[in-house]
Amino acid sequence: MSTRTYRLVFAALGLGAASWAAADASNGKDLQATIVLNGHPCNQVVDSKRNADSDYTATCKDGNRYRVFVDPKGRVLVQKL
Amino acid sequence: MAALLALSGCRTPKTAAQEGAPARATETAPTVPPAPATQPTPTPAPAPPVIAPEKPAPAPPSAPPAAKPSTPKAAAAPKQAAPQPAAPAPNAQSAPAAAKPSSLDLNSLEQRLKDTRAIGVFTKLSLKNQVDDLLDDLRAFHKGAAKTPQSELRQKYDLLIMKVLSLLQNGDPQLASAIASSREALWGILMDPQKFANI
Repeated sequence: MSTRTYRLVFAALGLGAASWAAADASNGKDLQATIVLNGHPCNQVVDSKRNADSDYTATCKDGNRYRVFVDPKGRVLVQKL
Repeated sequence: MAALLALSGCRTPKTAAQEGAPARATETAPTVPPAPATQPTPTPAPAPPVIAPEKPAPAPPSAPPAAKPSTPKAAAAPKQAAPQPAAPAPNAQSAPAAAKPSSLDLNSLEQRLKDTRAIGVFTKLSLKNQVDDLLDDLRAFHKGAAKTPQSELRQKYDLLIMKVLSLLQNGDPQLASAIASSREALWGILMDPQKFANI
């Protein structure tokens, strides 16, 4: 019984971690596509930090860091840090 | 550059396999003319085919289905009857079909773009900004206060379409092919002042 409970807990944790990782990866891809769309080089986002709503700091694999955010007019802006 | 290459590689199969918008219409149309041209020597036969590619151009998605059946018809018709009635038939079929789906496709394409998960929220918003910028330029162009010439607008449009296609081609290839096939039709709408005003 206890073994079964542990298995369930681990499975749930595993699923949660997997979905979190997937969300993080998709967020990274979204940020990377946005950075590239705005004309900046970024082959892959390796780290991203959420500063506020619609405001992220992304670190690309090549070391470049960008702030990706939406201004009050609704435009997506990418600033090189 | 890689995206351009990927797109060009992607677009060729689309035009060949699925609905090859205007490109296909122009390809298929030439196939129609030769049939009438070979059998009946009269001069009126070549004239309709020249008009034909222009008409289907506005609505590519519908053109392919209409073009497919038309080619066998055109090939078979001249054997039985005169070539003149056979040539107008495909035109009449494609013209109403072209008008209908063009408006429908715009709405459905817009909805599919909004719903697709192949593009993230930030990216969609960024693309929307760029689309709005292009629409502003086009608005100025139609008002006559254009700073940018038509060729440059077309370049911007092509670039934007390529961006969208490169974003979609892996995650939502069906939508990518649908957009690629309606590329010329969309440009036709953007260049037509009346249609543009209704967007």
